[in-house]
Amino acid sequence: MKTLYCFDLDGTITTTEVLPCIASEMGIADEMATLTRITMEGLISFEDSLRLRCLLIGQVPIDRVHSIIAAIPLDPAIANFIRRHPEECFVVTGNLDVWIGPLVSQLGCRTFSSKAQFGEERLKLVHVLNKGRVIADLRGAEAAVRIVAIGDGANDVPMLAAADIGIAFGGVHSPTPAATSAAHYVVHDGNTLCNLLKAL
Amino acid sequence: MQPVEGAVIAAAGLGSRLGLGMPKCMLEIEGTTVLSRLIAVLEKHVPSIHVVVGYREELIIDHCARFHRNVVIVRNPEFRTTNTAASMTCGARGLRRKVLFLDGDLLISEASIANFVTKAQESDVLLGVTRAKSEQAVFVQTSCNPQQPLSANGFTRELAQPYEWANVVAGPPDLVASADGFVYEALIPLLPLPAAMLDLCEIDTPSDLKQAESFVRTI
Repeated sequence: MKTLYCFDLDGTITTTEVLPCIASEMGIADEMATLTRITMEGLISFEDSLRLRCLLIGQVPIDRVHSIIAAIPLDPAIANFIRRHPEECFVVTGNLDVWIGPLVSQLGCRTFSSKAQFGEERLKLVHVLNKGRVIADLRGAEAAVRIVAIGDGANDVPMLAAADIGIAFGGVHSPTPAATSAAHYVVHDGNTLCNLLKAL
Repeated sequence: MQPVEGAVIAAAGLGSRLGLGMPKCMLEIEGTTVLSRLIAVLEKHVPSIHVVVGYREELIIDHCARFHRNVVIVRNPEFRTTNTAASMTCGARGLRRKVLFLDGDLLISEASIANFVTKAQESDVLLGVTRAKSEQAVFVQTSCNPQQPLSANGFTRELAQPYEWANVVAGPPDLVASADGFVYEALIPLLPLPAAMLDLCEIDTPSDLKQAESFVRTI
């Protein structure tokens, strides 16, 4: 049976969270940290949080955002695993296509993300990704498929729960309790994760 | 010849006989947890380690996040209604070849683990035994010919024997999947089995705890 691997981006493939990096350049690191924390804990919905983040970071010129994102380090073992299996791997991120495009293109796999457009005055959120829906769509597209999902936050819960095998990953920070509860495995290291993925 | 691919440590249980309110493997003996001691001896001899968690899993997950980032934590949310054998089988998911199954409440000397892992390569299943000393021992009846390699012929709770079941066994990933009750019951249909001696101490009761403290000073 074919196995597909769905990876969260922020704090899973990247070794830091993407948006807080941009926020620190703008001098709003504390505000973004609070927003990230309450989102990870599920205290506000991911959609509400994304709208707020869009409003805050949408003011930064897109070129500047791209150059900051391009410098964000990736977990070497996970990035290598994805590059070796580009047909079986997917990046599944609530982050915006307009921001993360150049970053995920380095990995060579397909991406599911939230979507935004530049309006006349500001960045406009047009679609918020439901990660659980991605799993259902992938399952619908191929008959016999086994799906492994890897993530760390509250918005990964529907993906971890819908996958055949859910892995809560704590490479950057501990996975949120909700992500752990939805997972079969908890792993804290990229190499250990990839060895497990190869063995499953 | 098949080397041991990974170890599965069953640490999901309640440890109710000690009444600690935490998993037994999180007990500190001379300042180091039982789990850390077990991982430290295993990681030198097996390529991967799976720790099965259930009861108060957050304590073990946090502990591994701080000190043992190379282990795979396998969750058994059904730990209240399933037995140790089910936890072990759940923990062996992702391992395909030979697995070393261990209870999480064991203190084991590194030399005896090294010897056990080497011997485990030579047979499909290798049963761990130790000198009988615990309060509620499951004794192992062994062949009495000292010229022959150690072989286990039966388990008994009634007839005292020199050896008891060590709660350690090496074999295929589904070795104990059929157990309805205790882990060793899944091994009865496979008897006689080659066995190897382990120098270890199990912690089940408060008096085992005192023994454990003196045991770690000897290894």
